[in-house]
Amino acid sequence: MHLEPSMKQAVIRRTVRKFAEKRLAPAAIEMDRTGRFPWDIAKEMAGLQYFGLEIPAQYGGAGLDTISYAIVIEEISRVNAAMGLCVAVHNGVSASPVYVFGTEKQRELFLVPMAAGKKIGTFCLTEPNAGSDASSLETNAIREGNEYILNGNKVFVTNGGISGINLIFAGIQTGEKGKKFSVCIVESEREGLEKGPTEELMGMRGNPVCPIALHDCRIPLENLLGGEGEGLKIALTTLNGGRIGIAAQALGIAQGSFDVSIKYAKERNQFGRSISEFGAIKDFLADIATRIEAARLLIYRASDMKDKGLNHVRESAMAKVYASEVAVAAARMGVQIHGGYGYTKAYPIERFYRDAKVCEIYEGTSEVQRMVIAKSLLNE
Amino acid sequence: MSKSFGDVWIFGDYRDYFQNRITLQLIAKGKDLAEMLNTGTTVVLLGEQVHQYAMEYVAHGANTVMVAEHPKLKEYEVETYTTLLSQWVKSYRPEIFIAGATSFGREFFPRLAKRLRTGLSADCVDLEVDPKSLLLVQTTPAFGGELLAEVVTPDRRPQMATVHPGVFRELPHNSEAVGRIIYPDVDVFPEPRVKVIRSRPPIKGKVSLEDASVVIAGGMGLRSKEQFELLYELAELLEGEVGATRPAILSGWADEERLLGQTGKSVKAKLVISIGTSGALQFTTGIQGAETVIAINRDPDAPVFRIVDLGLVADAAAVLPILIETLRRRL
Amino acid sequence: MNIVVFIKQVPDVPNIRIDEQRMTIIREGVESIINPLDCVALQAALELREREGGRITVLSMGPPQSEEALREALAAGADKAILLTDSAFAGADTLATSHVLARAVSKLRPFPDLLLCGMQTIDSDTGHVGPQIAEELDLPQVCGVNEIHVDGDLLVLKRLSEGFLDTIRAPLPALLTVSKELCPVSDLSLGAVEAAFTQKDIIRWAAHDLGLHPDEVGLAGSATHVRKLRQPAARTGGRIVTGSPQSIVDALIRKLESMSILDEED
Repeated sequence: MHLEPSMKQAVIRRTVRKFAEKRLAPAAIEMDRTGRFPWDIAKEMAGLQYFGLEIPAQYGGAGLDTISYAIVIEEISRVNAAMGLCVAVHNGVSASPVYVFGTEKQRELFLVPMAAGKKIGTFCLTEPNAGSDASSLETNAIREGNEYILNGNKVFVTNGGISGINLIFAGIQTGEKGKKFSVCIVESEREGLEKGPTEELMGMRGNPVCPIALHDCRIPLENLLGGEGEGLKIALTTLNGGRIGIAAQALGIAQGSFDVSIKYAKERNQFGRSISEFGAIKDFLADIATRIEAARLLIYRASDMKDKGLNHVRESAMAKVYASEVAVAAARMGVQIHGGYGYTKAYPIERFYRDAKVCEIYEGTSEVQRMVIAKSLLNE
Repeated sequence: MSKSFGDVWIFGDYRDYFQNRITLQLIAKGKDLAEMLNTGTTVVLLGEQVHQYAMEYVAHGANTVMVAEHPKLKEYEVETYTTLLSQWVKSYRPEIFIAGATSFGREFFPRLAKRLRTGLSADCVDLEVDPKSLLLVQTTPAFGGELLAEVVTPDRRPQMATVHPGVFRELPHNSEAVGRIIYPDVDVFPEPRVKVIRSRPPIKGKVSLEDASVVIAGGMGLRSKEQFELLYELAELLEGEVGATRPAILSGWADEERLLGQTGKSVKAKLVISIGTSGALQFTTGIQGAETVIAINRDPDAPVFRIVDLGLVADAAAVLPILIETLRRRL
Repeated sequence: MNIVVFIKQVPDVPNIRIDEQRMTIIREGVESIINPLDCVALQAALELREREGGRITVLSMGPPQSEEALREALAAGADKAILLTDSAFAGADTLATSHVLARAVSKLRPFPDLLLCGMQTIDSDTGHVGPQIAEELDLPQVCGVNEIHVDGDLLVLKRLSEGFLDTIRAPLPALLTVSKELCPVSDLSLGAVEAAFTQKDIIRWAAHDLGLHPDEVGLAGSATHVRKLRQPAARTGGRIVTGSPQSIVDALIRKLESMSILDEED
């Protein structure tokens, strides 16, 4: 059992950290304040293959293993969680299923521009009346000649405001009542696809999350990903992998919170000495550092299993629920260590706190993750 | 039986003579070393019409000045100087040979040491003769100045070092001092391969932290870009430049060209006022070359106070407006 | 134009800590990186190859883990990477280091047109190795270059030297050490890192491959020895003043007066 990152993974981490500290850290404040997505930086990232992390080189991707992928997401999120989210969703749940389930033609048509960062991807499952319960989805598709006609409403679409390619989960109507749950690739410029206003979010404000509505949106049959009725399989497989990305993102937030907090603790003096000398602060730091390390190992374990082609449903869920909760705890502790300053925008820790919370919610809430874990335990 | 030693040699680096006092500093130190070894101090001086410098070197304490006058020595040229000096070293066998760590000293001394197959230490901050072994102990900074290494050259000669400018104090000019000025034979030189076509003072950029005589350095203790911007007012009043720590630059308070420290610029200002900087090593290496460092920081235990001449424990936000107002009234 | 770039793996100096008991640096938890100015040299080589064609070989002397630095250089775009590694190389000063590197260069066919390295390293900061390689190979050298133009088999270079901007002409082949103003270093693409580890090879040469006797390399081949390491004495004599903002300002003004930066008030 190897518990040390490889030389390559160490170089990947250093490469990303250097770039993230130089370009993404300074942008984080502005992104949070204005909600504007920095296209200039995204373009640089595209040139460095941040939008094709696990995609093989033949499609223009970087061809990374999943642990390296997790390291990339962690390092971005450590200084800029909103950008980490953009990259995690694009790679983990949008480009990845196009690669895994797409035909060679679809890969050429959709995956290549995605890997090149020319088109940013989304994963549109959630609807006003359906989230983790996929069976109650209302978006439907009707086949007419060589086309499907899509109608429905998707909400909370991460990367929605900047997307070029959207994976729309819809039921394809068969006969009177039957529905085949399927995935349609819908380009943003298709007539009938309409993006709503960007949500005013508590955190992750640099990521333009918005609703996407489909009114008689027509797509050619070859835009169907996988076959008719493959939707559930695609959703489950994708979310399994996607959870690793979100877990890595949460880990990055936790590590970022920890790093700024320990630095603050060392610099801040009260009663004539550094607050890092106080027992309560030491306990905070020791506890969070331990949990961060545990989260990291869970993520690497799930990633390693994914690369080996093993079933990693339980491990991904464990990594996701645990890392999310560590992120929230680390940010909360960080605000506490910062005291009054932690409640101001003069320090980044309040942003980490707001960014962290959503990790416990999206891509399956912590409660859903526990259901998944329990199910896998009880079925065995 | 006492061992007999060759002289202590000093490279006569006279470019920009009135600013560059390194040779005079080395003569003073060389005399201490020579005394320990019971030998003399020799400056080697290469150039064209450099007699005036030879006189200066004697007045500042050199026992001997060995001069090579030749039109082909007019320009500092690595290979020509290396060839000539390696011949002299082989003939005269100095015990020690030191040069200032100027651009040229750092460029040609390694080549000379290599040709002589001897050791060389770089940018020394101290030189002493060990009383027991009579070896030259060359103290040189390592790991960005975090540690000092004491280096010796046990077997090979001469023991060579380049020396950081400003660490030794020159002796006063004594017009009555007596010394020998000798002109050894100079061989014919081959045409140099590297030629300086033009040499001119650099065109100054907008920000020239390296050349500023007053530098105001700001760090995260200023807490906001607005506060940081007060530094420009202060700098203007003191006719100085503004520099910043890495975190301040990462926060977007100043441009990269103002970065001070390990990965940025190093100043040799008369005065640095460091405001709201904690004093991380990567930063302080950039301001250590200043003659005087004053720091303002809320935290009395901030590491920056360990390197200052005057430490002011105060919140920059409270002090800056009063300071600017006071200066404005005074100037 | 065939270019050799010398790179050195160094600890990330700003992050090192000192073991005050043993007077050594604590390497644990400190990353090893390519000496930053060597990255500038490599970047310059990449840009020259773009214009002039040719191949770039990176050479590094160091322990086996220096492979990481060479892989990074491959990721940046070097064509070939050679690691000079042998336990006999340990403890080398600049004289012995330059000997090994020069010997490795003389083994290359064809002999390179241009040899580049950073003008200093962040760990030992001597700047000796470049000129000493040039000396051993009898090549012309120019240190601290901040502009490189190639004109046939001539180089036109610029560099700052004690405040003077020198324009210099040198023939090829030559050795140049570079300053950080030469060019900004590009970020690595992630796919290039992946490929550098999965699709490229590192060539390893030990002392016997270079025809070197253990006596001429490493500590044995060094002229200098480090007698001890110690911590610099803290700058002392600094006065620490506390008090009201006004009294702090007064103390500062008095200091400025004493330094004649401010005229004394009547």
